[in-house]
Amino acid sequence: MLLIPMMLLGIAVALFRRSSQAVVYGPRPDVPLQLLRWATGLLSEQRAEWGQAMLGELAHIEGRARRWSFAIGCIGTALLLPPWGRTAGAVVAIIAVAVGSLGLYASVIIRYRLGASSLIGASIAATFLLSFVVAAGVALRRRGAAVPGLLGGLVVALAWVAASGFTFSNMILRVWPAWALPLLFIVVPAAVGGLGTLWGGSAAAGRRTARLAGISAGVGVYLYGTLAVAVFGAGGLPDDSGFSATYTINDRLGNNLTFYLALLPLVTATFGWSAATLTARIKHLPDHADATYPPAAPYVSMTPSSAALSMPYDVEPAIVSGVAAWPRSARVVLVSAAVVVILALGFATGLRG
Amino acid sequence: MQRNRPPSAQTISVLLALAADPAQWRYGYDLATQVQLKSGSLYPILVRLADRGLLETAWEQGQGSRPPRHLYRLTSAGREFVAALPAVRHPQTAARPHNRLSEA
Repeated sequence: MLLIPMMLLGIAVALFRRSSQAVVYGPRPDVPLQLLRWATGLLSEQRAEWGQAMLGELAHIEGRARRWSFAIGCIGTALLLPPWGRTAGAVVAIIAVAVGSLGLYASVIIRYRLGASSLIGASIAATFLLSFVVAAGVALRRRGAAVPGLLGGLVVALAWVAASGFTFSNMILRVWPAWALPLLFIVVPAAVGGLGTLWGGSAAAGRRTARLAGISAGVGVYLYGTLAVAVFGAGGLPDDSGFSATYTINDRLGNNLTFYLALLPLVTATFGWSAATLTARIKHLPDHADATYPPAAPYVSMTPSSAALSMPYDVEPAIVSGVAAWPRSARVVLVSAAVVVILALGFATGLRG
Repeated sequence: MQRNRPPSAQTISVLLALAADPAQWRYGYDLATQVQLKSGSLYPILVRLADRGLLETAWEQGQGSRPPRHLYRLTSAGREFVAALPAVRHPQTAARPHNRLSEA
């Protein structure tokens, strides 16, 4: 029930933010430039100048095919160019947690003889985990995103486990106190997004923090939930009566997937994102605070007539403001979507309470 | 730790293109076109050469709405390195290298 309004809220925010930016900045740059901007943002600080070199070169290439060809090669370079630094360790850790979850899932399938039908759930979980590993690999390479994002993920994961009273039984059945839903779904994600904004000094940093926190917490809590099912199987408190043990275990594994790989990252990213934008607005922080290249010197004059230095090229043009730049209709729809989500959360909390 | 492996055919072709007129600053795309390398092969080579102190970089100021452009030329160490290359004696062999991902 909660998943749909959450997704609607996220989609509404993304669509209206995108359209409002188009109004403010005019036509968007072509796809090769957008992709290359994104990819060069992943380069380590000491390689950032090379990202600017690729962007500067692309600006002088005419023709769609040539631009695509050049951009694709540069994107590959930007994605792989070392050094990755400590990011590599974090990526390996997330891969290890994801593989551990899948291993536990496989052990549950074998131990409880769940049959071929359970492989569908395992495939969905593997797809989620693979996409999370890729997304984490990208998010971790963003400058300044790793530490706040992983710390945020730790806080979110601890909150979800604490809400279950640190017991496997409650983790499986999600027996939460009434206060847990607003805490897990709004307060903690919003705190992560807001603090990430203050840490990184921009709304974009806060949004990246929220995304990485959602991904890392989702992967971690999913491992914990799968471990709980591996330990309890169909045991513990009865959640559904009259079903076979195989059905119950499959059901629990499926619920883990829904709650920890879908809902947790979604609500963390969504509310963290909103809080990041709001915090930047309140604290008068920029939307983006990426470093600009090239530096002021040295410049080389290729043409005798050129004398004055140009403005440094900004990879991602600083957005003038956050919410203030949005059209009125976007703000109305955003507030409406938020109200729907809050009502849905209140309704769900009331049902549980 | 910096590894000083023998230069690949692609690297040699880039070095030779730069050494043709050592005083001249070159653009990345022009170099790629001249030596027929994809950007995904060229830039790792340029990065490696710059890391080894063989390549000098600078920025050309932007013109109009276009951003500044990165420029490249050999350092004196780079010129000496090219002069010591065996491939210099057979430049035609390195003029059109095959594009291999492993060289990137």
